[in-house]
Amino acid sequence: MVTESFDGWAVPPGTLTDLVFAEDGGVRHPVLDTEAARGLLVALRAAREDALLRDTVQERVRLLGRAGARFLDPEDPLRQEAEERLPATADISPEMARAVIEGMARDWTAERLAALLSAELSQPEALDRFVPQSGGGRARAFAPALSFHIGAGTVPGVSATSMLRGLLLGSATLVKPGVGDVVLPVLLARALAEEAPRLASAVAVLYWSGGSGEDTEQVLLETADLVVAYGGDATVRSLRDRLPVTTPLVAYHHRLSVALVGRSALSQESLPGVASTLARAVALFDQRGCVSPHAVLVEQGGDVGARELTEALARELERLHRVLPPTDLAPSHASAVHQLRRTCELRRGAGENLELHTGPGASWTVVLESANKLEPSCLGRTVRVHSVVDALEVPDLLVPVGRHLQTVGVAGLGDRVEEVAAALGKVGAVRICPLGDVPFPPPWWHHDGRGPLSVFLRWVDLED
Amino acid sequence: MVLAPVLPPSPEAVPAEPSFERLVADLVGLFQRGVREALDEHVFNDWALRVFRWQFQHNPAFRGYCLGRGVTPGTVKSWVDVPAVPTGAFKRLRLMSAEEGREPDAVFHTSGTSRTERRGEHWVASLRLYRSTLLPTFRVHLLPDGARLPMLALMPSPQDAPTSSLSYMIGAASEAFSAEGGGWFATADGVLQEEELRRAVEGAVDTGAPVLIAATAFALAHWLDGLARENLRFALPEGSRVMETGGFKGRVRGVSRNDLYHGILARLGIPMNRVVNEYGMTEMLSQFYEPALSRFQDSDVGLEDRFHVGPPWVRTRILDPVSLVQVPDGEPGLLCHHDLANVGSVACLLTEDMGVAVADGFRLLGRIPGAEPRGCSLAIEELLNAAQMR
Repeated sequence: MVTESFDGWAVPPGTLTDLVFAEDGGVRHPVLDTEAARGLLVALRAAREDALLRDTVQERVRLLGRAGARFLDPEDPLRQEAEERLPATADISPEMARAVIEGMARDWTAERLAALLSAELSQPEALDRFVPQSGGGRARAFAPALSFHIGAGTVPGVSATSMLRGLLLGSATLVKPGVGDVVLPVLLARALAEEAPRLASAVAVLYWSGGSGEDTEQVLLETADLVVAYGGDATVRSLRDRLPVTTPLVAYHHRLSVALVGRSALSQESLPGVASTLARAVALFDQRGCVSPHAVLVEQGGDVGARELTEALARELERLHRVLPPTDLAPSHASAVHQLRRTCELRRGAGENLELHTGPGASWTVVLESANKLEPSCLGRTVRVHSVVDALEVPDLLVPVGRHLQTVGVAGLGDRVEEVAAALGKVGAVRICPLGDVPFPPPWWHHDGRGPLSVFLRWVDLED
Repeated sequence: MVLAPVLPPSPEAVPAEPSFERLVADLVGLFQRGVREALDEHVFNDWALRVFRWQFQHNPAFRGYCLGRGVTPGTVKSWVDVPAVPTGAFKRLRLMSAEEGREPDAVFHTSGTSRTERRGEHWVASLRLYRSTLLPTFRVHLLPDGARLPMLALMPSPQDAPTSSLSYMIGAASEAFSAEGGGWFATADGVLQEEELRRAVEGAVDTGAPVLIAATAFALAHWLDGLARENLRFALPEGSRVMETGGFKGRVRGVSRNDLYHGILARLGIPMNRVVNEYGMTEMLSQFYEPALSRFQDSDVGLEDRFHVGPPWVRTRILDPVSLVQVPDGEPGLLCHHDLANVGSVACLLTEDMGVAVADGFRLLGRIPGAEPRGCSLAIEELLNAAQMR
């Protein structure tokens, strides 16, 4: 059990001196004035020229991967520190912390980063020099000299992944994680400092609490060449207003996800596996992730139906309550869960046809009911199950949330998968994947519909 | 937990109540004994059990709910055993407890915090009962000196807003207690009539006759903004007072309560100790007030030391938000009100409001601290708003 606060920052040696510190949510962090912020930005830009761009992109892949892979080794001291620190700062259980680190760090290895690079760029060397284009002429990809990454803090690891994307492309990278996601980017920056000190001089991780440090934040926003932001719709809107018109903003706003189980996956034999992967997708990140399913749509016509799946899902959520426990829900979320549960009990009392399964306290909730449109979950491992005659009905149910729709985890669609995927894509879904892959998209996924690296790049054409 | 199947009630377990009107008449009699006279625990309990029996018998959804939890009039010995109904259920169900076929006297709608939120409906079986709880409570907390004052209401009239429980309440209080010269100063769609309001205030200043202003915190803040823009200040006659409501549920457009009360003093000349917060909800017929005038008068109790009290026919328990078990005194939790005046719907209400017990009341902590879901998880309201805007 660690009790002292976490040093929630990492900057290149010698860049910040005479620091004043503040503390927030168990995280100690320096308070930067605008002058210090400007100084740091100058240092990061200089380090980019001297250090980051001296290597080829393939060399950066190797070095970044060396640092990232340390989090997959349970014996590594930084991995151990991550496991120790995550529960308190991210408000998750130790079991959940291990699952999240494993899932996130899997994509931080050289092999996965190389795969990301080649999936995104047909000629990765275009990051190093001009390369011939098929239509004639040459082209070269320029990353922003300095990218500023603003995390949400909801899901630990997201800021670290964002940081790797920036560095991989050769962008000096400043990360401001949300308070729930401070640990992993800071520790990854420390791993970089040990494995590749030159690279590490082009990265800084700084946390400050929302509302504080507005002036400093404004300096950073005005100076960065590109801003990546994760957060609520309101956060994204406010950033748009504060950025210079010439600064690109890569914004990842609110998203929600659902699952769709087709009739081929609804047999006695397949039911336990389907229920277990579903429950895991709901429980991971305590349902706070954009990939976390809010509802399960179950196709009719299988050997087992929505009722059996609901019961199996409830059993699995109860099991995960023990092996992947949640932390105590905030009063607001617990209250919302009780309002939902008891309203369901009353509706059932009034004769409505619905089923309710609940865990201890406000821990997990499954409701089987009919629906003509998707209602977002109040979270806290709360999931609705709806029966549909055919998978192709599902897109219509999702229309109201289309602009916020992200992942649809699917099973049992057989050769109809492409037809259904097209219909889901039409209403807004950006990722259709097997149920088991829902929590952790691969590094090269089109993040909320766009290439994770190509959104950073500016191409320069050299015509002959 | 899985819900047990719903079984029909056994008739012998439910002693017959002669009629709703009889029950209402008896409760009105109880309320007439006044707000200042406390009810003994066993008296309150007997009443609560009688109300529970009625609701169990005459509210099918509630009966099914109770049976699902294994609760019947036979098992309930204490009012704390009555299953609490979440206020959110009013958005999904008509929860009237009255003889079959009885039409409600009124249907009040919750205001909702966004355009797109599903509205709750309180089907009020007896407006007589509503008046009999609201009037003595209003008088004790707003007019403890027995004054008859013109009432300036910054809200639409009950005729213009027939589904607003607040307009009904102020209308009833105005009919019972006010002097000539007041009025309604908002249009049916809630637009404040600032010009007319200013003339009324100027009239009061000219004649030296004190007034009672009744308003939502939102309307007050809006009005004070307007006065500040025009740089207008009034010194309303001594004895004037304000009832403000709704300021606790979230912010008033970023205005803190302290700023609001300072604005009232600066622009209207009414000191803080003559501003009374009312805490009520559409789903519940009785109200809570800060006893600023009835008890604290002239003692300048700071805003942070204020608390709310209800009439003796309401009891409030404070529950742990996760386990819903009553918290030890002094710890914060969800407010769960048991209001005998709600005999025509459901008496025991689980709210989403946080509070902490103090003295013979509670201090409101507002609607759930830290309620904002963070980051890429979903702010439901945002999402629904966005969906609606398409």
